Amino acid sequence: MNALLHLVALSLKLNFRNRMAILYGYLFPLLFLVGFWAVYRNDPVPLALHVGQFLTVTILGSACFGLPTTIVSERERGVWRRYVLAPVGRWVFVTGVLLSRSVLLLTSALLQLALAFAFGLPVPTHPLGLFVAFAAASAAFLAIGMVIAMLVDNVPAVQALGQCIFLPMLMIGGVAVPLQSLPQWAQHISAFFPGRYAVEAMQLSATGSGIAAAGFDLLALLLIAAASTIAAIAMFRWDKAFKPKRGWLLLALGMWLMVGAMAEMRGPVQIDTRDVGPATNYVAMPSAPAPKMSWQDVTEADIDGIAFTRLPPDEAIVSPVSRSDEVPDPAIQPTLDHIRDALPHWQPGTVTDPVQRTRNLLAIAAVPDILQMEQVERFVPRLVFARLQAVIPPRDLPKILYWIAMHPDDGDDAAIHQLSAFGLPDISGPPAPVRGRIMLYAFKLLGRLSGRIPPV
Amino acid sequence: MPLIAVHGLSHRYGGLQAVDGISFEIAAGEIFGLLGPNGAGKTTTLECILGLTAPDEGRITIAGIDTRTDPGAARKKTGAVLQATGLQDKITPREALDLFASFHATPLKTDPLLARFGLVAKADAAFETLSGGQKQRLALALAFVGDPQVLLLDEPTAGLDPQMRREVQDHIRTMKDDGRAVLLATHDMEEAERLCDRVAVVAGGKIVATGAPRALMAGGSLEDVILRLTAS
Repeated sequence: MNALLHLVALSLKLNFRNRMAILYGYLFPLLFLVGFWAVYRNDPVPLALHVGQFLTVTILGSACFGLPTTIVSERERGVWRRYVLAPVGRWVFVTGVLLSRSVLLLTSALLQLALAFAFGLPVPTHPLGLFVAFAAASAAFLAIGMVIAMLVDNVPAVQALGQCIFLPMLMIGGVAVPLQSLPQWAQHISAFFPGRYAVEAMQLSATGSGIAAAGFDLLALLLIAAASTIAAIAMFRWDKAFKPKRGWLLLALGMWLMVGAMAEMRGPVQIDTRDVGPATNYVAMPSAPAPKMSWQDVTEADIDGIAFTRLPPDEAIVSPVSRSDEVPDPAIQPTLDHIRDALPHWQPGTVTDPVQRTRNLLAIAAVPDILQMEQVERFVPRLVFARLQAVIPPRDLPKILYWIAMHPDDGDDAAIHQLSAFGLPDISGPPAPVRGRIMLYAFKLLGRLSGRIPPV
Repeated sequence: MPLIAVHGLSHRYGGLQAVDGISFEIAAGEIFGLLGPNGAGKTTTLECILGLTAPDEGRITIAGIDTRTDPGAARKKTGAVLQATGLQDKITPREALDLFASFHATPLKTDPLLARFGLVAKADAAFETLSGGQKQRLALALAFVGDPQVLLLDEPTAGLDPQMRREVQDHIRTMKDDGRAVLLATHDMEEAERLCDRVAVVAGGKIVATGAPRALMAGGSLEDVILRLTAS
């Protein structure tokens, strides 16, 4: 243990003496983060939907370049040949290099997250889940990094092979370019790259319902980690004079293919366009309705003019609503219970103006939808609908919902930033996308209340 | 009991018989030289003793411990300086000695080792800034840190200028004076003559002659002896 601690401490110390290691290990991830922020700065919530992406870039960089460069350069100059003579288990040296790399990777990711918070990133919905997903992704990629280290003889070869893995994963593997922005053919190919599972697993804990929903992603990462670890052990060499047993590479790459085939069998990736369009998209009448002075002027004929069939389906990613007979995952039940219990005491949900009160309550459904919070975004609307029916008179609610749906830009949106009472993230950025989702949920509840959308 | 005993050691790399039935013993307080041209099998012999290469045949004991059945215990008794070994550019001699000390249960203290091997002035300098002689003295200190009974040195003065070579050789001699067994692989006849109590001349993976350097040199230089023996 003494030897292991010494080795880890010294490896870290030497890393911080190496300018290039600091540049690649810390500055590069921060530059990538700034790049993500610059590209997606107009998102409803800065960086929230890209946490999985920028953390995966950091892990990939460390695994494809940092780890193998350290091992290969030390092996090239005979450090490992010297280590192997020591009277301690050889596993100590491998564990030492992996532990020190893990510490570097974790600190780099924490630094990246700190800067992301400064840019307005909300606190992840499941910090522990994010750590677990990060650990699983790190295990998978560091094991791949070990395979690279065993395969090549010198540092330039690490760079060449590392780029062969890093760049395709970034461009068509769902890491730098989001899956929904990729053409169909690239989405199929991305299933065969491990980066996609790392992004999904971490994103589900950043804005989704946690790792409970990331079962397949975690399985994929652990299978890839196991296969790569076995291959790296079988190919292990202390001295570049020994040739690696390259046949074991088939095991590591074979697992990528197997996981990809499993993902393909699960079906295509759902895409969230996030652009819900103006309210007039959902009105059947060819000409604009006569302007109303107040929500109280709304008539049954106005409601008849709405084309409810144009609304996104309840099962879609945009404005989803769970089925009434659907049971939430036990992992999110505490979150839903907390929201239900907090609803009666939430001050914006009790304001005097019934329109503003309704708008505020609908925001509780809209924000998880914007953040793609998986099951939370599907079950919360039902809680909100029930609360609205409890606090707004039945004869007024359809008129108010129509009014809000047709005037999504009216009213105050301060309530969007008061959702911490429900354990939901405080989001920043332009409010227009949230207002768009409030509009859709107003339409959907209106459709249910008026019988135009059949209750499911 | 000899501290190093090698009996019938053989190793083949593919079609090449690198070591072919080599046997020798080294007593405490003795420097034993393996002398031969490049490719004679010296390094492979050392690597077999150190457990880096698995011998095809033969038995090796270090202080009575069979290296095949208990390699860990044998390694605790052994220090080595091999060719083509190095350290990280930014590591300092003090850090390297502290690190290698942590690999041993009862290591020698770092400061006395720095003093003994003349590295005090460079104790906190980066490895990349050390001269060739300083690097080699550090290699000896690292081999020494576990207070080994047996030292295996593979061309420890190769590439050094005469003054640095002399310094390193002085350190090797003091190891012998401490009662350790030293196995020195070299192709430098002057070094073998200067340091070794006995020399085995190796050629084609076999020991072709063993004896005191001066006895082997009777009738000509050591180089002539090697040439004559290897030619036959």
